[in-house]
Amino acid sequence: MKFKAWLKTIIFYEILIGMKATLMHLLHYKPITLQYPHEKRILPDSYRGMLALLRYDDGTEKCVGCDLCEAACPSRVIKVISAEVPDEPTKRFAKEYYMDMTRCLFCGLCVQACPVDALGMTREYEWAVYDKRQLLLNKGQLLAIGDRSYPVREKRLELQHPNVAFFNVAFKHLPPKES
Amino acid sequence: MVEVGIKIGLSITQIAVVMGVVLLTVMFLTLAERKVIGWMQDRMGPMEVGPYGILQPIADGLKLFFKEDIVPAGANKFLFSLAPILALVPALIGFAVIPFGPNLTVEIFGVQFQPFVISDINIGILYILAFTSIGAYGVILGGWASNSKYSLLGGLRAAAQVISYELNVGLAIVGVILLAGSLSLVKITEAQSGWFWNWFIFAPPFPQLFAFVVYVISSVAETNRMPFDLPEAESELVAGFFTEYSGMRFAFFFLAEYANMILVSCIAATLFLGGWNAPAPFLQFHGSWANLAWASGVFWFTVKVYFFLFLFFWLRATLPRLRYDQLMRFGWKVMLPIALGNILITAIAAYLFPRG
Ligand code: SF4
Ligand code: SF4
Repeated sequence: MKFKAWLKTIIFYEILIGMKATLMHLLHYKPITLQYPHEKRILPDSYRGMLALLRYDDGTEKCVGCDLCEAACPSRVIKVISAEVPDEPTKRFAKEYYMDMTRCLFCGLCVQACPVDALGMTREYEWAVYDKRQLLLNKGQLLAIGDRSYPVREKRLELQHPNVAFFNVAFKHLPPKES
Repeated sequence: MVEVGIKIGLSITQIAVVMGVVLLTVMFLTLAERKVIGWMQDRMGPMEVGPYGILQPIADGLKLFFKEDIVPAGANKFLFSLAPILALVPALIGFAVIPFGPNLTVEIFGVQFQPFVISDINIGILYILAFTSIGAYGVILGGWASNSKYSLLGGLRAAAQVISYELNVGLAIVGVILLAGSLSLVKITEAQSGWFWNWFIFAPPFPQLFAFVVYVISSVAETNRMPFDLPEAESELVAGFFTEYSGMRFAFFFLAEYANMILVSCIAATLFLGGWNAPAPFLQFHGSWANLAWASGVFWFTVKVYFFLFLFFWLRATLPRLRYDQLMRFGWKVMLPIALGNILITAIAAYLFPRG
């Protein structure tokens, strides 16, 4: 036994095994790389790529300006400036919405935090730019990404779940507040 | 006077041809290495420049040529510029004594001329050993002159490693010299003619198999190649001694490394695998084709050299880098005793059974 181990040491047995493995890969050459700009991978459905703001099927923005995504984001990507919808005092929206994508780590926490599913992750990943200021996206840009990545839109929330209407949607004939 | 002129002209042509072939081989090697290692690791290697990436070396060369040449602040300017030259010149100069083909002598305009060896000096192998040691200065000075801690550490490692492994190279060669009875590479090759069992790796009275293994391992270490590339260990030292180099100076170091690879492969082929000799007499042009024997000689020499170059790539694709203490222990405690023992036994065998 000891002799065998000694013999294996002096003929570099382990190294020869390793060299055989690499030679076998050379002889049965089957590359697993894709030539990226010419060939592209098929991405899984749950791919977490570029973030986007979504709209309802009638074209209104889903976002209600609740700031929950800003609170959930671990790297402070999101900045929401919320405001009341004009003429609808119980309803709010994001007047301005910024995302600094240079810091985003694509964790998806903002998407989970959003109560109205206003955020989505797309399968876009080719976002290399020459000027990093181009990665500070505003609401219009985020909505545009959403428009091109999510062509099928949801119905308005109050039409899906009537209960939601109680806290989210302003009804026409509310009794006036007593003052 | 005319004769001297013709002689100089012939020599310069010869040198130009050899340099050209060596530099072209380096170009080819950079591509071949990336391709072979890629294939071994289930990758494709360079694919973008030209069909299947075959123009990649030209693109690399152009890129290096047009890169900015940076001299770091605080560097010793003179030594910083000298180091790449000191690394490259010895690597190229060694090819002067390598016999690439049979030892023919032709007469051109009344001048004796050996077409396949630039100069057949009788201490050829010592000459090569001396010059490769100068090459180590280039590495050490380059590391020191850059005024960077990574470069300095790389240079120091290179110094220790090159010295300890050159010793083994020298000692491994001694066995061959004992059997051949000459220091001239042409004579050594001629002593191995005939069948392949006359090659010194298999030759009676004592096969130089151990010396061959010691030589191959030590020469890999001496050229700073994987798995002995500690002087340029990129995971610890960025790029070792050439961290601060850019542009053409970097290209010089790069060329020197590959030229050294070719040089040690040539020496290994010449000393141990019979140089230009075919494995069997009938595998070269003979009989009525005997005039063309030089072609088969050059062919066999090329095959042997490329075998070693492939071995370099193969080792690099397979093995991880050694730790520094392992490297030193392996060099001094394993390789050195084997090389010394080999000399002892070869000397006794050569004394008892002298070769005919
Ligand atoms: S994916 Fe993560 S890091 Fe990026 S914006 Fe959303 S919460 Fe922030
Ligand atoms: S995106 Fe969602 S979580 Fe963020 S402010 Fe709008 S509604 Fe709230």
